[in-house]
Amino acid sequence: MHEGSITVRLPADLREIERLNRLIRQFGELHEVPSRALYAVNLALDEVVTNIVRHGFEDPKDQEVIAQVIAKPTEVITEVSDSGRAFDPLAIPPPNLDAPLAERTLGGLGIHLVRSLMDGVDYRRADGKNVLTMRKRIR
Amino acid sequence: MQIKENKQGEVLILTISEHLDSATAAVFESRLLGLVDRGERKIVVDCGSLEYVNSAGLKVFLLAAKRLEPLGGKLVLCALAPSVLMIFEMIGFTRIMKIVPSLDDALKALGGEAAPA
Repeated sequence: MHEGSITVRLPADLREIERLNRLIRQFGELHEVPSRALYAVNLALDEVVTNIVRHGFEDPKDQEVIAQVIAKPTEVITEVSDSGRAFDPLAIPPPNLDAPLAERTLGGLGIHLVRSLMDGVDYRRADGKNVLTMRKRIR
Repeated sequence: MQIKENKQGEVLILTISEHLDSATAAVFESRLLGLVDRGERKIVVDCGSLEYVNSAGLKVFLLAAKRLEPLGGKLVLCALAPSVLMIFEMIGFTRIMKIVPSLDDALKALGGEAAPA
């Protein structure tokens, strides 16, 4: 894997996520990020950005989300920041995976996937921004 | 995403392809739930050509399975790619939904047309 990074600023619009995914895939292929790790990074990024666009802003017009992906020799670090309302996705309770079908609820699936796909997820609020940092080890 | 519909006896087979994500989930939701509303009770979703699913897409499967259960219906998913199956396992859906390797298995699970010997 080759070291490098990419920063994508995208308008807070669900239609932009496909473009983000495409850019990250191209970056990953160029830097020879192993395909399993790249898949995980892409899906986690999709979930996080979708959540921000859907719930982060009073009015998403003219707002943006900044995503940075850094490829290092042993891990891929992904950082997502936005200036929306303070929101810690890690505070969402995990879904009850043991519940029978009738009692399974729709909430919390995305952030559960993010936690499961990544080896570490940290949230901080700094300078009026939400910053979520995700780490994926390369094995 | 493309959605194809095919009826085999009592079983309705939906074939979906490419990406089931935030951009396409709403279309899939109205299609799948529309089938339940019009009375379909045995539904197979053939995921053999599905390359990518996110939580928006996963929610559609959960909604449909939850709606079918009290109606005595059943949703069966088949032919999931390993990377897609991994996501279903992570979210615990393999415990609450019938997920089988092939379309033949899905038809058998619904008591439909037997697979050729």
